[in-house]
Amino acid sequence: MSLGLPGHLARDSLSRSLAFAGHCAAFACLTVTIVVSVIVATVGERPNGWTGAALAAVMMLALAAVARYPSVTLTVLALVVGTGATIAFTMLVMEPGGFESTNNAVLALPRIALLLVGGAGSGSLIAIVWASLGYALGEAAAFLGVALVGGSYAPSTAAAAAFGILLVVRIFDGASRRSDPRQETGLHRASQQTRELAIRHDYELRATARLHDTALSHLIAIAAAGSGTVDERLRAGIRQDLGLIVGRDWAIDHSGQATANDRGGPRRAAPVAEPSPNGRAARGRFAGRTTAGAVTRARTAPLPAEPRPGGTTMLVQSFAAAGNAGLDVRVTGDPEILHVLGPGRAEALDAAVAQCLINVARHAGVDEAELALGLGGGEVTIAVMDSGVGFDEREVPDDRIGLRTSIRARIEQQDGTVRLWSTKGIGTTIVLTVPEGGA
Amino acid sequence: MMRLTQQEADPIGGITAAPIVVIGAALAVGSAVALTWVHRSEVVSPLAAIVAILLVAAAGAVAAISAAPSRAPFTAERLWVVVTLAVGAAIAEYTSTVGSNRYLYDDFGPVVIGMLILSVAPYCTWVSLALAGVLASTVLSILVVGASNSVAVDAPVGALVAVNAAPVIALSAAAAGYAYAIIAETLGWQREANRAALQRDSELRAGIARSVQQSRVSVLGREVLPFLAGIMTAERITVAEADRARELAEELRRALRAGLESTWLDDLATSLRLARGIETIVDDPSGAADLLGDDQRSALTALITWLAEPTRSELVTVSLVTDLDGGRIVISAVPAGRPPAKREIDRFIAVARAVSLGAESASTRENVRVELSYVID
Repeated sequence: MSLGLPGHLARDSLSRSLAFAGHCAAFACLTVTIVVSVIVATVGERPNGWTGAALAAVMMLALAAVARYPSVTLTVLALVVGTGATIAFTMLVMEPGGFESTNNAVLALPRIALLLVGGAGSGSLIAIVWASLGYALGEAAAFLGVALVGGSYAPSTAAAAAFGILLVVRIFDGASRRSDPRQETGLHRASQQTRELAIRHDYELRATARLHDTALSHLIAIAAAGSGTVDERLRAGIRQDLGLIVGRDWAIDHSGQATANDRGGPRRAAPVAEPSPNGRAARGRFAGRTTAGAVTRARTAPLPAEPRPGGTTMLVQSFAAAGNAGLDVRVTGDPEILHVLGPGRAEALDAAVAQCLINVARHAGVDEAELALGLGGGEVTIAVMDSGVGFDEREVPDDRIGLRTSIRARIEQQDGTVRLWSTKGIGTTIVLTVPEGGA
Repeated sequence: MMRLTQQEADPIGGITAAPIVVIGAALAVGSAVALTWVHRSEVVSPLAAIVAILLVAAAGAVAAISAAPSRAPFTAERLWVVVTLAVGAAIAEYTSTVGSNRYLYDDFGPVVIGMLILSVAPYCTWVSLALAGVLASTVLSILVVGASNSVAVDAPVGALVAVNAAPVIALSAAAAGYAYAIIAETLGWQREANRAALQRDSELRAGIARSVQQSRVSVLGREVLPFLAGIMTAERITVAEADRARELAEELRRALRAGLESTWLDDLATSLRLARGIETIVDDPSGAADLLGDDQRSALTALITWLAEPTRSELVTVSLVTDLDGGRIVISAVPAGRPPAKREIDRFIAVARAVSLGAESASTRENVRVELSYVID
């Protein structure tokens, strides 16, 4: 969304709007002329009224043509037709015994319409030139018309006033754009910048979540292991994760790049000895987790898909993460249902499920988890269940962020929802739901 | 479309148009005085004539004051106050010449009402302008029927009614036409701009993928990943490496938290600090900046960016406070030299109000302070 008109368009837009306003007023004047003529012809029983109405109708047609196709030719044509009609109309109105001079309310109407014809081109100066021409022609027509039937000419006060109003408006419009407050306020630029900042922020958050998922657990494991030989499983885990990101732009989510042995299903591995840096105190909880109801500041707008190599493979990251963490995953439902999701969305869901499984491996104190996949009601639902230690949401500090970024933010960016149930000693269930389709 | 005014769709256009309302009001009063003088021979009640001119002046004053940027937005009620006062003036004028009004052509009522409706066109929807024209001409028509006995011209009453209402009809048609066209133009541009912005977004993303390499998280990534690669190929982990791993883990956590807790507003402040060297401080403990809508963000960005010019301010602070059903954003700046003119600040105030933010400003030599407030539905 952008606020208002940008400076470079304001001139033409305002000019067109003012011309349209003038045409509306001209149509109003000619409509009144027709109404008056018809009343004079019927109630006043003067058949000349019909001629007057017809003349005004002809002017209206010419005006409509200019309004629709504002070319120089049509403008000149409309002015010529209008002048002719005004001469004839003046001759009708100024028949002896009627008005004292041509300065009267009825004769003002076609003259005002004539000066509002406007015409081709945009900008205040051109508009003023056309209006002056129309005004002059209107007065000339009245002069000529009254000379033909014999009466006294007087310039129309109302037409002069209308010309004056037009001049004031057009000059004001031209002058007010010189100071250019639009440029000065920079609203258009600001809205572009706002958009850019939002994208950048999303991007960084995603990149951070990515790094968090990939590297944090390894760093913690290394720190906790202290000096000594490198645990083979740790080495394998690092190799696997680095394989996913080294040599690529790691900040962008990738999928379809898992190693072959992780493809296609659960893999059994030894439980992880991966204490958190806070020691045993943090065990048995989701270390990186906020309470389920915690406010997520993630934007809910769906993000456009990112460039992505390779085809779609279902839940690759999840199975890789489970295998890496030594978690046995039982799957109910067909992972192929993820094909109803756009590649970006499928990938986000996969990454979120992977993070859920990592949390199970790290904190639930069990080495198996269950995935249930379902498709229905236009949504894909994946439940990640474990019968581990569970936790009490109230005991989890608000500043824990794993669930918030890695799971909740990802899913909410895809317009999905995350629900979480956990009971101490019984286990935890996280249900991730995303709508079908998406980027 | 029918509910929008130029002021809402194009706030700067609304501000720019404010002087035309003053001009229109002045011309209306001038016309009233001049035409009263012209038909002075018809005046039977000088008091009513004076009241009529005073009512025109009141209508003009209400219009001009209401349209001032510091009083934005111009609400629909203000249009009705203006129209009611102007119609009151027409009635008073009718009273002043009752029974001896030979010429309707020199009555100022219709033209004054029309001019006032036209001058507030940037602040009203086209429907309300058209409606104002119709209602005003209805009242005028009743007056004409009353005056038709004394009129010199021998014409059917219907023709008199139509001719007399012509100025109001024509001018309010112009007003409604302008309001309609400018909104159509603005919305058309916005559709175009949004389409372009969506396209730009994808280019932006590609650009950011490269530029993000400078960001905090990228720098961290460049340290973390080689470190992990080193561990992967090493035989043993040293004490130093274990410590380094702990440090990096902490840094990563911090980066993640900082990333989560910062908002686009922090990013804006950072970019202003880097690009312009103006200390821009954001105090937003609850991340309230994310609650603002796109247009509200644009308005706030425009104001902060405008203030954070080396020639304008030395220091800009933005603090956001939330309460249960809304919040306040206080932007204050220490002027670098002369404090900015109120007229300039008013521009931003009007823009903020156009995007449903409450806005007030107060400036002294030492401090420029703008307070915006919003309500959460």
